[in-house]
Amino acid sequence: MPLASYETSVPVVVDDAKCIADKGCTVCVDVCPLDVLRISDMTGKAYIAYDECWYCMPCEADCPTGAVTVNIPYLLR
Amino acid sequence: MALDQIVDGLSEVSCDVLVIGGGTAGPMAALKAKLRNPKANVVLLEKANVKRSGAISMGMDGLNNAVIPGYATPEQYTKEITIANDGIVDQKAVYKYAQNCYKIIEELDSFGIRFLKNENGDYAVKKVHHIGTYVLPMPNGETVKKALYRQLRRARILISNRYMATRLLKSADGRIAGAISVNTRTAEMLVIKAKAVILCMGAAGRLGLPTSGYMFGTYENAANSGDGYAMAYHAGAALANLECFQINPLIKDYNGPACAYVAGPFGAYTANNEGSRFIECDYWSGQMMLEFYNELLSGKGPVFLQLKHLHPDTISEIESTLHKVERPTRGLFQQRRGVDYRSESIEMHISEIGFCSGHSASGVFVDDNARTTVPGLYAAGDMASVPHNYMLGAFTNGSVAGIDAMEFADSHDFAEFDASEVAMERERVMAPTTREDGIPPNQIEYKTRRLVNDYLQPPKVTRKYELGMRRLAEVRQDMQDRMIARNAHELLRALEVQSIMDCADMAAHASLYREESRWGLYHWRTDFPEKDNENWFCHTLLSKRDGRMSSEKRAVEPYVVPIADDEKDLYDKQRIRASA
Amino acid sequence: MSSPFESYDDLDDADERLQAADPAERRVAIIALGHSGDPAAVGHLANMVSDPDAGVRQQVAMALGEFDGPEAASALVKLLVDPERIVASAAADGMAEFKDPACADVILPLVRHAHAFVRMGALRALKELRRKDTLKPALEALQDTDAAVRVQAIGVIGFLKLEESIPALTALIHDPDAHVRRAAVSALAFSQMKPAAETITRALKDDDWMVREMAAETLGLNVNGSLAADQLIATLADQFWQVRLKAIRSLGKMKIERAVRPIGNGINHEQANLRKEAAAALGEIADPEGEAYLAVVANDPDPDVRKNARWALQQIAARKARAGS
Repeated sequence: MPLASYETSVPVVVDDAKCIADKGCTVCVDVCPLDVLRISDMTGKAYIAYDECWYCMPCEADCPTGAVTVNIPYLLR
Repeated sequence: MALDQIVDGLSEVSCDVLVIGGGTAGPMAALKAKLRNPKANVVLLEKANVKRSGAISMGMDGLNNAVIPGYATPEQYTKEITIANDGIVDQKAVYKYAQNCYKIIEELDSFGIRFLKNENGDYAVKKVHHIGTYVLPMPNGETVKKALYRQLRRARILISNRYMATRLLKSADGRIAGAISVNTRTAEMLVIKAKAVILCMGAAGRLGLPTSGYMFGTYENAANSGDGYAMAYHAGAALANLECFQINPLIKDYNGPACAYVAGPFGAYTANNEGSRFIECDYWSGQMMLEFYNELLSGKGPVFLQLKHLHPDTISEIESTLHKVERPTRGLFQQRRGVDYRSESIEMHISEIGFCSGHSASGVFVDDNARTTVPGLYAAGDMASVPHNYMLGAFTNGSVAGIDAMEFADSHDFAEFDASEVAMERERVMAPTTREDGIPPNQIEYKTRRLVNDYLQPPKVTRKYELGMRRLAEVRQDMQDRMIARNAHELLRALEVQSIMDCADMAAHASLYREESRWGLYHWRTDFPEKDNENWFCHTLLSKRDGRMSSEKRAVEPYVVPIADDEKDLYDKQRIRASA
Repeated sequence: MSSPFESYDDLDDADERLQAADPAERRVAIIALGHSGDPAAVGHLANMVSDPDAGVRQQVAMALGEFDGPEAASALVKLLVDPERIVASAAADGMAEFKDPACADVILPLVRHAHAFVRMGALRALKELRRKDTLKPALEALQDTDAAVRVQAIGVIGFLKLEESIPALTALIHDPDAHVRRAAVSALAFSQMKPAAETITRALKDDDWMVREMAAETLGLNVNGSLAADQLIATLADQFWQVRLKAIRSLGKMKIERAVRPIGNGINHEQANLRKEAAAALGEIADPEGEAYLAVVANDPDPDVRKNARWALQQIAARKARAGS
């Protein structure tokens, strides 16, 4: 069967101005239990790459600069 | 490099003791094994990252089953667990836990993990149940993982993050030989030879689908996809009482408990729409969940957590724990909905089904030394069969497993395995990456879990189970023949859904085998509505025989803490019958 | 394929990375040192406590909190007195997890620091170290102008469980701050001497309900608590049900037979928590006189109340059987 992709709103928001992933920080990507965060090749900043978030918070709690915000996924808000 | 690009690779390492799973039981097992023999190599393999993995990634708000001198005795605790579990308990392991857990609390305290203390330094133990006193709050419990991690680093444990174990290796004579794993970001494979292996891979929490429909909104950490149950099964280990599902009371739509153990000591309680308590059963059990379920559906439903009778200062104190530890997004969730505990009760619901001995009794069968039925293979924590053991049980039994496994490793050499097994497993693991076209893992998973909800969720009906198994078999065929994974991350999900499918099959098989109702809602069979002690006062063990699922009965070991008839009676009188 | 294991070589180029011009890069290096678990990292971190960037110093404080012992303590002490609150807070949290009593040597002098936050953080850390020579400075800190400091000082004293500190704790019953009075009452629980029990008893009449609640609960934990039975019985008329609840629980725990009637008389209270506690207490006391009151709640609409009433009746029956045989 052919594949299509569809849009989905994701719960983790990263403030690029605060994020220091481009300086070598990988804290949020390291701690995510579902491994959904990645660092963008283009911006050098962290972002949520997969809509598989358990909204558990280590990324937000452990971010050294307070750049990460975790929201409640829309489906269960 | 493209995102999570697949890299071809296979390498091999060896160690004395391999611990799989770095959540709660695993770090303790690894630490104890290493301390037992500091010269030995201990590997801790983790699918996520040990720093924040597992059920307690954001810590824990308290101990629910602390047996602390002066507040409860091991005998009393063993009795309570035996009765809460309808008598189907090998007491030796429970009793051993109860005797050892205080020592473990002291040890965790020495790691810098903070328990609630009175101003004179004594543990501030709270009474929640009406007979025993077992609850020790942890309002600063968010640092548990941090404290464990630094112990692991100090002991120089070999930590392997982002490796998912897929199958165990055994020798021709049935002894454990190691495990095969795959890197979740590159798909490179790693074979780990080991003299002893400890499985600490958590609950099967991604089995049922949450009512929100969000696949990752599970009660358990969504990374806990039941890989340990599946691996133990394929290695020929016996799994106990899988029909005793885990189902928990939750905040409606949210994946966290409300939580009676946090708010209970302050006087909050679960109430129906009339504001009245309705739960007869004292201990968290299947019986309690049945009462909860009945009330939800009754004219007095739904069910709420009631706090508004408490003083505003007390509520603030409760919030400071509920919104900080274990499920810290709870506050955000309530805030978005405009729920203020001071003026409004919190709507509750029940969770999806899963396997988890931490709250029920479904787990890989282990004895009081955490040994499974496979020589050299151990299990601890939520996936091992010691019932109702919660976080403290994972630590305590993880400790038992670590020590015993190192003793085993010290007296055995590596077992030889057949190299062709590795080649076959590599082919199985990589299969979804070889297809150009097909079905992505998320759709296979959604369909599997939707079928679990439709057909396997209690109340259990035989004919529905048969239909469900047929549907699941069709999806399994699609999974085997047509599932695709286009990068390493998708391969991780593709492997997880295979564990989920195995767990669904085991849940169905085990449930049909036990022809009675027991453990309240957990195993409520409407066509066998009565408890049948004459035929079914036993464990059921499920295992793989000649490539097929097979179940058998196993006698309950003689009790080490006898329970008088009037004590059983006291509990029985507090119960309402399923049919009532 | 690179090694599948976490590296233990974090310190190799630490000095170079810690000197990076970009504060964000220094932060990244500090995080790695904090996670290393290698005690040798402490020295490197200690060199960073004067970093010009507050965020970096905050990171240093968090990283030092991953270690224990005098070396980490002396570095954290410097960060606890940092003018930036984020740094000082991180230092205070890190110190609170210390377990090595030797840390007390460097923390002790801060008990007399000019800033209340520093004094509070120092006392909070000293509590868990339980070192006898911290008693004197903690006793002095009971005179502190800041209530939060006094509360932490009470903890240090209480954790030590020394009878000689009872007069000082007793004096706090007149403290203007309710949190201080509440903490003092809780700390007095350990004392074997009557004056402590008398002090807790006086707190049953405190103006603040949470202090009264603590007093009612603490009497149940104190060896001489039963001396206050009459005052606890009088507390059953307290205007806050929360206070009455703790009084009932303590009376039950201490098996005060003369409390059966007053507890029984209140068993029909509209607050279910209170009915439940009353039933449980009558069971613990197990005096046959309790039966009549328990009959009142035998068919209570609240299952928790019924449950406790059933259990209580069983306790009374068991006691009767023992007496008869």
